[in-house]
Amino acid sequence: MTLGVYELKLTRRAGLGGRQAARISSLAILMALALFSVLFILADVSPWSAYVEIARYAFFNTFGLPLTISRFIFLLLCTFAFIIPYRAGLWNIGMTGQLYMGSLAAFGVALALGAKQGRMVHPALATTLLVGAAMVGGAAYAAVAGFLRGRFNINEIVVTMIMNFSAFWLVSFMIKEGGPFTGGGGEGEGFPLPKAFVGPLVAGVPYTFLIALVLAGVLSFLLNKTRLGYEIRAFGKNPVAAQYAGISPFRISMIVFLIGGALAGLAGYHYFAAVPGVYRIPKNYGYFGDLAFYGIICGLISLGNPLAAIPVSFLFGGLSIGGRFVQGKFHMNFGVDYALLGVLMIVLVGFQFFYRYEIVWRKKE
Amino acid sequence: MHKVAMSDLLSGVRRGEVILELRGITKRFPGVVANDKIDFEMRAGEIHAILGENGAGKTTLMKILYGMIQPDEGEIYIRGRRVRFHSPQDAIRMGIGMVHQNRKLVNAHTVLENIILGHPHAGRILNRKRVRREVEALSRRYGFHIDLDAMVWQLSEGEKQIVEILKALYRGARILILDEPTSALAPPEAESLLSSVATMAEDELAIIPFITHKLPHVLARSHRVTVLRRGKVTARLETAGVTEHQLAREMVGRDVDFTVERPVVPRGRPVLQVENLSALSNRGFLALRGVSFTVHEGEIFGIAGVSGNGQHELAEVLAGLRRPVGGRVHFDGRDITHASALERWRLGIGYIPAERNAVGSIADFSLVENVAMNYYFDDRFVRRGIVDYRHLANLTRDIIAEYEVATPGLEAKAGHLSGGNLQKLILARVLARHPRLIIANLPTQGLDVGATEFVQRQLLTAKKSGAAILLISEDLDEVLALSDVVAPIYEGQFMGLVPALELERGHIGAMMAGVRPGGRSA
Repeated sequence: MTLGVYELKLTRRAGLGGRQAARISSLAILMALALFSVLFILADVSPWSAYVEIARYAFFNTFGLPLTISRFIFLLLCTFAFIIPYRAGLWNIGMTGQLYMGSLAAFGVALALGAKQGRMVHPALATTLLVGAAMVGGAAYAAVAGFLRGRFNINEIVVTMIMNFSAFWLVSFMIKEGGPFTGGGGEGEGFPLPKAFVGPLVAGVPYTFLIALVLAGVLSFLLNKTRLGYEIRAFGKNPVAAQYAGISPFRISMIVFLIGGALAGLAGYHYFAAVPGVYRIPKNYGYFGDLAFYGIICGLISLGNPLAAIPVSFLFGGLSIGGRFVQGKFHMNFGVDYALLGVLMIVLVGFQFFYRYEIVWRKKE
Repeated sequence: MHKVAMSDLLSGVRRGEVILELRGITKRFPGVVANDKIDFEMRAGEIHAILGENGAGKTTLMKILYGMIQPDEGEIYIRGRRVRFHSPQDAIRMGIGMVHQNRKLVNAHTVLENIILGHPHAGRILNRKRVRREVEALSRRYGFHIDLDAMVWQLSEGEKQIVEILKALYRGARILILDEPTSALAPPEAESLLSSVATMAEDELAIIPFITHKLPHVLARSHRVTVLRRGKVTARLETAGVTEHQLAREMVGRDVDFTVERPVVPRGRPVLQVENLSALSNRGFLALRGVSFTVHEGEIFGIAGVSGNGQHELAEVLAGLRRPVGGRVHFDGRDITHASALERWRLGIGYIPAERNAVGSIADFSLVENVAMNYYFDDRFVRRGIVDYRHLANLTRDIIAEYEVATPGLEAKAGHLSGGNLQKLILARVLARHPRLIIANLPTQGLDVGATEFVQRQLLTAKKSGAAILLISEDLDEVLALSDVVAPIYEGQFMGLVPALELERGHIGAMMAGVRPGGRSA
């Protein structure tokens, strides 16, 4: 193609460095914001002031920032839950179901420890047990997909997707009136956790913040430095060659789904047992289940890199909080948060094209 | 560019007329000059082979000729008229056809459908009957025997190549580029292809085979040869009066010894004992039908056969990648019939697979990570679950130096290595484990003369140090040159076990085709 005196050419990239990927993603984000401006303009809202409000509320406001951080932790854990199987070439679309099952397991343990009767338990013990239960619950649920994939080569996308629905209705059964986890207030939500059972705050934010950040380092180390990480990556890049090298497909698919499920379970624990003001399985738990899908997008944008997932999840978390805020502030009649995330997602996925191709231009001879 | 129909340019060519000319073609890639001021000319009715080792710049030149990439400098002329190819479409329009080594056919379609696919007239109304008639006429003319209604997946490699050639000819190609035309073919297929090509040349088609090995074929059929080495033309020869040794020397830049010295090694204890082993193929039929044999220390056991006779299934069963349906396998006296692939690596079995890219390496991984494929489980390189990548980098560096693997560095991706260099890396990685048993499946397939000689010498060195080697090859000369015992395989069975001293070429060749010693046919 020619543009004036310039000749534009599309060429295939030989490789993609982290810096180039970051630049492409940043461009995509700017493009998405520009496109979304149209929606603001149609709603008679100045895009500039809308974005300023979003950013101000999400990142610089004493009410907004903690909400952003809680969302960010949740998204980051969901992203990890996607990334680990993804690096083995397997697709975990079941973070939603796994985080529900993790939450049910955690609240089940709380119930067994007498949380509903207000029995006293040492907070550290309670927290440890709840975290453990959430991770085991999520892992066990995901293990079904890992097993079916590893033993019978059944598509893991279908299995995890279907299991999301089962888990959704199981949660509904448990927390609605008459269910074992019901709050009893007639509001269709789970019982509230007593103080001893809730996750502690560190500097005003849930302590799971620290867990998530440490996990980014741990998972990065796991993937890049350990034998298991090597096996996961090898299997993900070329399963046939991995088997030649003695790597067992069954073992790998079990392990990545166990890890992924445990991380998703932890995400469920985080939102329902460690975020201030929640401390129960809420009526609108489906909202968080939907949010978990953004772990897939964050995972793809960060190219399966746990460290790159940090800024990406932070941005998505902030935009979802800020979007909801401007929606109320400017009395807009549609869900700005999901609409914004949706546009962002489509543009980012579209821009993945540039991960493989680049446009070269030079002056015509 | 002004679009000229090829019929304008290449109609009415006379035998011997120069129809294609390259002048000063130069193409640089980061860190390497792939083509350095290459001049080349083709006459109508000529078979002009381009020879060179892997990495000599043949592929680049071929891609430039076919419009897949553009040269940085230099010009292409067709019948004296300067042309520019921006894509293969341009090259096709100018009458250039290409037969790829990695076939670009649709497996689920018939031969005829594949020939039609992409034809300039295919977008409009298509007269199938007419196409069939025309393609049949082409086949008859050049002596191709092919069922136009067969599905491509049912065809042998040789037949697929014929489909590619017919496809190019049917599109009106007058200049035909053949990429390694005989490398995947059984000897009789290669012979008949070469005679078809000779007929085409008589019809004033110009044919450019690009070749790295099988030098005898070049000598037998081509008129002229241009030899490339490290991106430059090193020789331009009339084929008449040239010897195989001369060609090899021009390609490699030094003398190549075609006769490998076979070291005398006393036969040691049995290492691998196989009893009555059977296995299914991927499609579910019995591909390996009860073979029994023993391989000893210091012995090369050669299995000769045309691909698809059960030898690949045998290799996979022995490597632990395919379950046998019957029989036993003992390694050092221990029953390993049901051992996993990883256990076998640990026990000292080293497998060099035939598919370098699909099985033997991971294209997206660096060379260090590719070397790690055989060491990620090894206590010398892994401590408490953490891989010692620095140690592995040292090993990789040693391998690159000792085996002369041409690469920009340790962190280069394996997918960027040429076939020969990749094979060297795989071989070295396996041999550095000092395996007691080496299973080498087509270890020199597709390698150039220099690399082939190198790989063969490495296997002999391993034999000298006492390894037992199972060599699977389609190349009769290779099997005869290296093996102590040869087992010709046909339809999943050995046609006999022939000790090296009694080896005779014609005899083994007949056995590969299913004739048992004593004249009984299988």
